[in-house]
Amino acid sequence: MMLSYQKRILLTAIIMLTALLLVMAALWLPPIKRDVKIMDALFVLDITDSMNVQDVTLNGDKVTRLAWAKEFTRRAFLDMPCGAHAGLAIFSEARSLILMNPVEVCASYNDLTRMLDEFDPHMAWARSSEVSKAVYTAIRQAKEIEPEPTIVFLTDGHESPPINESLFPRFDGKPGDIQGVLVGIGGDDLLPIPKTNEAGEIEGVWDVNDVMHQDVYASLRADTTTNVPAKRTEHLSSQKKAHLKTLADMVGFEFVSSPRSPGKLVDAVRDVSETRPQTIDYDLYLWFAGIALGLILLVYLPYGLFIRTDD
Amino acid sequence: MWLSWSTPWLLWLLPLALLPWLSHNTDKTVAWQAMLPHDRWSRFITLALKLLSTLLIAALLLAMAGPHIPEQWVERSRQGAEFVILLDRSRSMDDIFNRPPRNLLPRKAFSTRSKRQVSGDYLGEFIKRRPDDRFGYILFSTTATEILPLTYNRDAVLATVKAGSLGKGLSQTDIYRALATAAAMFEHEPYRGSRNILLISDGGVALTASEKRELEQLLSKMRLNLYWIYLRSMRGMTLDPGDEDNLLWMEMPERKLHQFFQTLQTPYQAFEAGSLEEFAAAIDEIDRQQYQPLIVQERLPKQSRRAVFLWPALLCLLLLAVARAYTVWGVMRAFQRKH
Repeated sequence: MMLSYQKRILLTAIIMLTALLLVMAALWLPPIKRDVKIMDALFVLDITDSMNVQDVTLNGDKVTRLAWAKEFTRRAFLDMPCGAHAGLAIFSEARSLILMNPVEVCASYNDLTRMLDEFDPHMAWARSSEVSKAVYTAIRQAKEIEPEPTIVFLTDGHESPPINESLFPRFDGKPGDIQGVLVGIGGDDLLPIPKTNEAGEIEGVWDVNDVMHQDVYASLRADTTTNVPAKRTEHLSSQKKAHLKTLADMVGFEFVSSPRSPGKLVDAVRDVSETRPQTIDYDLYLWFAGIALGLILLVYLPYGLFIRTDD
Repeated sequence: MWLSWSTPWLLWLLPLALLPWLSHNTDKTVAWQAMLPHDRWSRFITLALKLLSTLLIAALLLAMAGPHIPEQWVERSRQGAEFVILLDRSRSMDDIFNRPPRNLLPRKAFSTRSKRQVSGDYLGEFIKRRPDDRFGYILFSTTATEILPLTYNRDAVLATVKAGSLGKGLSQTDIYRALATAAAMFEHEPYRGSRNILLISDGGVALTASEKRELEQLLSKMRLNLYWIYLRSMRGMTLDPGDEDNLLWMEMPERKLHQFFQTLQTPYQAFEAGSLEEFAAAIDEIDRQQYQPLIVQERLPKQSRRAVFLWPALLCLLLLAVARAYTVWGVMRAFQRKH
C-alpha cells in the first residue's frame, strides 16, 4: 500500500496526538475497579513415613516425596492470583491438623513459606498413615472455616495399616459438600520406606515383619472372599493411584496424579472451587503506555526495507 | 536509591529506540539534492526531533518495565512487646470451659464452647488489640514445632490462632520442649524489647531435675518473661496451696510446675482462669503490663516510580506532536497553493 507524502504526514500527526492522549491517561487516570475470581485453598501435606521415599524428580534431582510436595505447594502459592487465600495443614496418624487458616496469599507469602519450611517428619505425632480418615477429617474441619476452602490434599495414598476395599472407613459427609483435589505423589515402583523414630529421625527402613499386611477387620472374618491372604508388600510403597481414585470418587474430589507444573494444579483447583469475586484496583497504565508505544513504533518502523516509497 | 523492575525483559526491547534513525517514512523524496537549501537550523531541528523520538521510545519502554522501589523494612520505635504463644493442644482442652458441676442442676445457661475455642477467641482478641507486637506460635503436643516464626503479619497470626481452635486435640503435652523451643526462637534475634512467653494450658507436667536446670538457664539467658494462663480443670483448686486444700490437690503436676516457675530468675506471673471474666481480666492485665519501648520493623510497601519515566515521555511526545502538527499545517498550505 502506498500513501502519498501528504497523507503520511497527516497520519503520523494523528497517531502522535492519540499517543499523547494515551500517555496522559497513563499518567493521570486512576486505577479502575475490576472483579477477579479468587479461591480459598487449604493445602494438606502428608508427613507420614512413606513420604520420605526418594522416587520423584524435582529440577532433575531425585528428592523425597515430601520435599517435592513442599516445593510444589510453594510454587502453587506463587501461581495463585493475589487476593486468593491459602491455608496449611499436615496429615499424620489418622487425621489432618490445620495449622493456618487460609490467608491472603500475596501479603502472607513470607509466613506461609516459613511455616511450610518447618514441615518435617518430626512433627508427626504417631507412626501410622490412614489417608482416607485424614481426608474425612480435613473435610469436617474445612466446614468450620468461613468461607469454606477447597482442599488440596498432597499424598502418596499409602494406607498403613492397610484397608480392604470392601471395608472402607465410613464417610459421613455428602460427596461434593467440600470441593477438593487429591494430588498423587510418587513413582510406580514399590520401594522400601525409611523408618522414623519418635524424634522423627530416620533409622533404617520398615521391615516386612514391622507392618501389617492385611486389613485388621478383614483378617478377622471367616468368609474367604474378604479374608484372602494378601501379598506381603505393605512395607514397600508406591503411588497408590487406584486407591486414591476410589477415595476421590467417594468424597467427590478430583484426582490429579503427579501434576506436571504448579500452574496445572492451580488450574485444577480453580476448576473445582466455588470461586468468589473480589474487587481489586486494576491499573490500566500498562495498557495505555503499551498502545502508545505501539502507535509510535508504527510511525518509525522501517517500511522502506520491505516496500518502495518514492514520491 | 536503586530501582527494581517488575518486567525486566522489556528492557531488551530498548534497541527499538534507535528506529527513528533508520526510518525515512516521513521524508520527502526530492529529485535533486542540490535543490535543497542548506540551513543549519533545519539540520539541527531534524537531529533534535530524532533525538526526541529516541528518548520517547526509551522512556515509554522503561515506564512499561515497571520501575519501582522494592518494599523495605525500616526500624521504628513503638510501644509493645514480643510474644510467643504456646497453646496446649492436648485432649483435655476439648472439654467444655467452666462447666458447672454435673451433680447440680444448672440454674444458668452455660456456654458449651471448649477450653481451646475459648482460648482461641481471647487470644484473637488480644492480638487484635496490639498492633505493633511481634508474635510467634508454637504447636506442641508430644513434640514442639515452631510453626509460625516471629512475625508482624497479624493476618497470619490470627489465622494460625484460629486454626488452633479447630478440630480435636492431640494426645499429650510436653511443656518442657515447648518452653525450650520458645526460648530458642530468640536465639539469633537482637534484643528489641520485652520478650514474653504466653502459655495457655489446663494441666502441667512434672519436670525432671535436668530439664528444670536447662529451662532456668535458657529462660534467663534469653531474658524472657513468662505468663501462664491456667484453665482450671478441677473446681476449687488453686495453683497456690491454701488452707482448705483437698489432699488430692497436693501432688497435682500443675502445682509442681507452678512452684518451679516461681523459683525461676525470670519474671513469672500466673493467672487462673476459671470463668470467662477471669480469662478476660488476665488478658487485660497482660495487655496493660506490656507497653514498653519496642523496636519494631515496619514494612514500607513497594513504590512505583513509573512517573519518573512517563513525564519525560509526555514532554517528548508533546514537542513531537506540536512539530508534526506544524508540518501538517505547512504541507497543507503548500498543497493548497499548488492547486
